[in-house]
Amino acid sequence: MSLRSLLVWIALAVAPATACAEDLNSMSQDPKQWVMPQRDYANTRFSPLDQINASNVGQLQVAWMFSVGTRRGQEAAPLVIGDTMYIISSYPNKVFALDPTNGDLKWTYIPNQNPSAQGVACCDVVTRGLAYDDGKIFFVTLDNHVVALDASTGKELWVAQTGDINLGETTTAAPFVVKGKVFVGISGGELGVRGRITAVDEKTGKIAYIAYGTGPDKDVLIGPDFKPPYDFMKGKDLGVQSWPADTWKIGGSSMWGWFSYDPQLDLLYYGTGNPGPWNSAQRPGDNLWASTLFARKPETGAAQWAYQFNPHDLWDHDEIQENVLVDLDFGQGPQKVLIHPGRNGYMYVIDRASGHVISADPYDTVNSYKGVDLKTGRIIPNEDLKPEIGRTVRDVCPASPGAKDWQPSAWSPRTKLLYVPHQHLCMNFKPSEVGYVAGTPFVGATVDMFAGPGNYRGEFMAWDPVQRKKVWQIHENMPVWSAALVTGGDVAFYATMDRWFRAVDAKNGTKLWQFHLGSGSIGQPVTYQGADGAQYVAIMTGVGGWPGVVANAQVDPRVRNAALGFAGAMQDLPSYTQGGGTLVVFRLPKQSGNATGGTP
Amino acid sequence: MKPHLAAGLTVLLAWPVASVAQGQMGAPAEPSVAGSASGRDQPPVMPGGDNPSSATANPILHVPVSGLRPGAIAPKVDLKNPLEGDKDAVSRGMRDFIQFNCVGCHAANGGGGMGPSLSDARYIYGSSPANIFLTIYQGRPKGMPAWGETLPERTIWELVAYVKNLQEKTSAFGKTISRKPLEPSREMVPSEYLQTPSPWNFTEPFSSGMKPNAK
Repeated sequence: MSLRSLLVWIALAVAPATACAEDLNSMSQDPKQWVMPQRDYANTRFSPLDQINASNVGQLQVAWMFSVGTRRGQEAAPLVIGDTMYIISSYPNKVFALDPTNGDLKWTYIPNQNPSAQGVACCDVVTRGLAYDDGKIFFVTLDNHVVALDASTGKELWVAQTGDINLGETTTAAPFVVKGKVFVGISGGELGVRGRITAVDEKTGKIAYIAYGTGPDKDVLIGPDFKPPYDFMKGKDLGVQSWPADTWKIGGSSMWGWFSYDPQLDLLYYGTGNPGPWNSAQRPGDNLWASTLFARKPETGAAQWAYQFNPHDLWDHDEIQENVLVDLDFGQGPQKVLIHPGRNGYMYVIDRASGHVISADPYDTVNSYKGVDLKTGRIIPNEDLKPEIGRTVRDVCPASPGAKDWQPSAWSPRTKLLYVPHQHLCMNFKPSEVGYVAGTPFVGATVDMFAGPGNYRGEFMAWDPVQRKKVWQIHENMPVWSAALVTGGDVAFYATMDRWFRAVDAKNGTKLWQFHLGSGSIGQPVTYQGADGAQYVAIMTGVGGWPGVVANAQVDPRVRNAALGFAGAMQDLPSYTQGGGTLVVFRLPKQSGNATGGTP
Repeated sequence: MKPHLAAGLTVLLAWPVASVAQGQMGAPAEPSVAGSASGRDQPPVMPGGDNPSSATANPILHVPVSGLRPGAIAPKVDLKNPLEGDKDAVSRGMRDFIQFNCVGCHAANGGGGMGPSLSDARYIYGSSPANIFLTIYQGRPKGMPAWGETLPERTIWELVAYVKNLQEKTSAFGKTISRKPLEPSREMVPSEYLQTPSPWNFTEPFSSGMKPNAK
């Protein structure tokens, strides 16, 4: 064998690179790897690994750490592909490739983005992660540049621009790859952007299509295949007709959350953000397609169905949350559904082929709505709390960030429970008229949030979607702003803003282990198996996000209305933590000694 | 979208706030300290002759942003807000602060959010009136928009007057953060209950994330 063919052979043997999205789907089933932030297309965040289990998780120790060098909020998930781990920092979005077993740094990529982007990011300068396919790492900078890197070398392959900071646009969602296309969101629902998703060809960086969240049907990619499940979404150009003249052009309906994909139905799912501005008096109408779940064909973007959770949203209730694809048995055999823990406080179970709501039950304190009418599909607002310009509506629950914001839940096929990190907040809300000035906020509301009934601010809970009830819950002092992870060892992991990384028994919520991190965490815990055969658990620390800017930026906790009102609920966060981005990786002790040190 | 060229603003909707903003644009752009080149309808006249950066003719150019002075030479000028003594300037500044969406980033009462707080004692780019004027006029690279081509100088000075009113006056060098004893111990009365250009005159016990003391 010549040297050249030997090298080719080695490359083929070790390279995780594969040719199409179908392979990404099978890669995502490999317990050793973690190939997308959601772990799999279904967004389960479930790893079959069981080396760490309920009986030994109490022995977890730090294996290694790595500083990403930025002090703002770290919301990204590490990816593990083959023998490399990839992580991305908050702005300026540095990307690092590391050895997953010992933390050795392989390469670093630093994008040269416009620092002014920081001034139009509504809620900290976060990113929610990376994507991988076919030997390439994809990410999107805060200033809206989609970048493709060679996964083995970190070399820049192509760059595409998908937004404009002078229109108030930034990007914080993790990209998502399906069938050779990189799906990219846009943030700026607080700055009057026109929301959309952009599909970018993964080989060339060319924009394949854009699917808008407002506007005429041709822009929203609504065509003859579109079959909405309820009458109120039937009609021509509702993305124009359900708004006052021209306001759909600055109507938000962004996308900064999670995509999921069903390969059998060939449907891409995601939800859109709030309509803008928050002052609802300036936009009478249903404001389609804001706060709406879309099912689209990934090749063309053609919408197959849609479901608007919050027609004429009153409270900034985006619905960009994860849609977890599971098959549930309600007594008549498995049914293809998705579970959507709504920002509005309702846990939705939806037929993922048709968009019909099967059930919608409150999972936190809700007084802003009075339920979901399953005949019409419409949520019922509480008229007693109707906002009016200049009047302070008191004690609205859930608050603007909802019962749950971006922080994704996890699904265990073993327990058949959904593990949901979320917040427990109410607010005072005073709307006001606001003029649109491109590139500046377009909100029109004074908000003041605070702990919900019981004086706690967060919860980690397990939900049974068949029984439609909470099975167990753990109240937390602070909003639980991290993602959840659940494993084949029946351990569920989450982290808190007041610096705890916790492991609990997935069956009953018993606390099994905790570790005091360097900074509060709003990260996404992941688990993988290293080349040494050991199971590792990794999480980013670095407090931040919308609730965390009071601790990681110059925000005054004595001014309750700061940070779009979230400062009110987080006033004491700086007494627990400061910002600071570090990846922390845990494992069980090695048989012959401890894992913390290692032989020099 | 209807670009309002005179204002340099893209004002899409004729909301009352925006209309007021447009009405102001025609107002004479005085008083001014940045030379007389402030009129928007005539070509600028450079009092420094051929040298537009003449510091002699443009005293505001003497205002440092840095705290370091090579040779330990003190700045030549201490520029005052030309609206000093105008009792209504602060209230007009509060109205401007809301109309031009300063409030969207810096929050009601200047608590901060997308942009830094204005209610704390220290400002990143200096807290003299001229520092604040220049920060608004020129913008700053990490996210502060440059408003100089959008707002009349008079409006900017009104904003300066209001922002100075938001700034905490304290004799302490630093601050302590603690749960026991509770520090900080006071918070502003939230603006959904009280809108005032002088929010530090109205405080109440710190509520640590719990419900505010309803009025």
